[in-house]
Amino acid sequence: MRVQKNRKDKDMLSQIFAVIIFVAMFVLIVTEIAERQVISSICALLTLIFVFGIGMRDAGAVWEAINLRSIASTGFWYAAGESAQASSGINWETILFVFGMMVMVEGMAESGFFRWLCMRIAKLVHYKVIPIFMTFMVLSTVLAMFIDSITVILFLAAVTIELSRLLKFQPVPMILAEVFCANLGGSATMCGDPPNIIIGTSLGYSFADFITNTGLIVAISFVAVMIYFYLVFHKELKNINGEEVDVKTLPSPESAITDKKEFVISTMIFLTVVVLLVTHAQTGLTVSTIGLMAAVVTLVTAGKKALKLLRRVDYKTLLFFIGLFVVISGLEQTGLLEALAGFIGKISGGNVMLMIAIIIWLSAIASAFVDNIPFATTMIPIIRSLSATCGVDLTILAWSLAMGTDIGGSATPIGASANVVGIATAAREGHVIKWGKYCRKMVPATVMVVLISMLVIYARYL
Amino acid sequence: MAEQLIISIGREFGSGGREIAGILAEHYNIPLLDHNLMDEIASERNLDAKELNGLDEKKRNLLLSRTVKGFNNSPEQNISQLQFSYLKEKANSGESFVVVGRCSETVLRGNKALISIFIEADMDQKIKRIEERYQLSTHEAKKKIAEKDAKRKQYHNSFCEGKWGDARNYDITVNSSRLGVADTAKLLINYVDMCRTGKA
Repeated sequence: MRVQKNRKDKDMLSQIFAVIIFVAMFVLIVTEIAERQVISSICALLTLIFVFGIGMRDAGAVWEAINLRSIASTGFWYAAGESAQASSGINWETILFVFGMMVMVEGMAESGFFRWLCMRIAKLVHYKVIPIFMTFMVLSTVLAMFIDSITVILFLAAVTIELSRLLKFQPVPMILAEVFCANLGGSATMCGDPPNIIIGTSLGYSFADFITNTGLIVAISFVAVMIYFYLVFHKELKNINGEEVDVKTLPSPESAITDKKEFVISTMIFLTVVVLLVTHAQTGLTVSTIGLMAAVVTLVTAGKKALKLLRRVDYKTLLFFIGLFVVISGLEQTGLLEALAGFIGKISGGNVMLMIAIIIWLSAIASAFVDNIPFATTMIPIIRSLSATCGVDLTILAWSLAMGTDIGGSATPIGASANVVGIATAAREGHVIKWGKYCRKMVPATVMVVLISMLVIYARYL
Repeated sequence: MAEQLIISIGREFGSGGREIAGILAEHYNIPLLDHNLMDEIASERNLDAKELNGLDEKKRNLLLSRTVKGFNNSPEQNISQLQFSYLKEKANSGESFVVVGRCSETVLRGNKALISIFIEADMDQKIKRIEERYQLSTHEAKKKIAEKDAKRKQYHNSFCEGKWGDARNYDITVNSSRLGVADTAKLLINYVDMCRTGKA
């Protein structure tokens, strides 16, 4: 009896520690009292000491959270079938893949690839504002399917502002549409948005799984989004003074290329990575292997510039991910997320439709205000547990979670990284985008896409 | 060409700082940059001056903004940075001017032509000035002073390491209540002249 009581007390203590650390991490991230990687690392350390050490007194839990053994397993590098990161803790597959993509993207940016692509498309549509608006939405969606949305918006927004000055139009509507499309495109694939990478690697889904499920939802939503933004913005996009612009005075796309050889090589690496990602379920190469290959080839071909590329990698984000995985592992290993899943299962009364609605709208609303990466990471064990206890197909819950977290972030200026970068790029040039202006246009689009996603999920899977 | 002169004036609300800045600008025959700074930026860049003015000297709302890789969505922060860059460009181009507030003592620090001043005043004098200027009761004037100064302090301290009104942050701090606005301006003109001739 006493042993049981002691265990209960220990469980309770570790759960209290885990919740306090998790809530403190969220609050501190929101208040930006320190950089988020510092906050998540400190919280991770506190999780190891207080939750696993003092609370659970379990050295095994510490090793599970650090999860280094996963790297040594064959499945980490090569998986003949589906392979999920069975254990909780640091998802090294995500870390390695994100690192590889960061190196590759730095190589592409260095060669002038993104600026060239934007300028080339603008030239192709003869520098007409509305066609640029429509094609940039397509470009933003397609690029974000393979490249992180921050990079996509960094280049697209900069080119949009440059073009707006030359062609004399308001850049804000175009930037808002690009931001939305970057978030939308990211939700179509496994590598488009960090929550998808984490969902995919944690639950063992392939690129093909995402593209045939969330990808299809995105394709349908994209048509609605294009129509919506055209209707909402086309009047604002008219040439400010009605002046004719001499297109011969505009910079040529080729002027964006800093080094032709580097440009060709980085484009080839990018296309190869796309092919490898699309076929990774067939080839058996895991995303960590593809990420590492992309990084190695980019660095080898970069020659002397390799060190420069390595220095530019966003290690802060990688560190943030690592800390985050440990903190979430604290919640998971103490059984708290399982309890939360039980609660969701209870209020939905086992009704799958209601369960999907709760997951997709809860994820969307939460992601509109808090970072969607910690949210998605927290939700993965919850949907896993919900699926096990309520007998609901895990994939349906996974697509609901992916669409909710990826799209919900578009609703507010702070919901997703691409929003912040797009708004800041415009504001630095004096084009102010306040909360009101942003939400008036983006909330209806977000609600529309979340609704479409929910209806498609209902129609297709139930 | 006349030697470059940049005078940065920080001020408490109701201290007469803006009036003193005007006297200095007139004396040295150089432009006074205050609220008109935003208008200037807006007209140069074809932007909405009203919108920019609404964000002038305001601090970032922490709950409604987020930073990603050095980018922040706060309009207040971005417009302040735009204003700071504009001031730096002006200073680097060799222009002379008097600038009121806008963290200018910190933004332009390092420029050899810069003389930074902070003007404070006794509370009763500040209340009297605000009562007259805005036709307010003593209580209302006191409240307005407290609110305005709190906002200026928050704005300044969110962008600068040195604290607003801290004597260590400026070349000279003066209480305008001792001599009155006109004589404080004279004192400061003396100080600026001595600085320029190297006697200070």
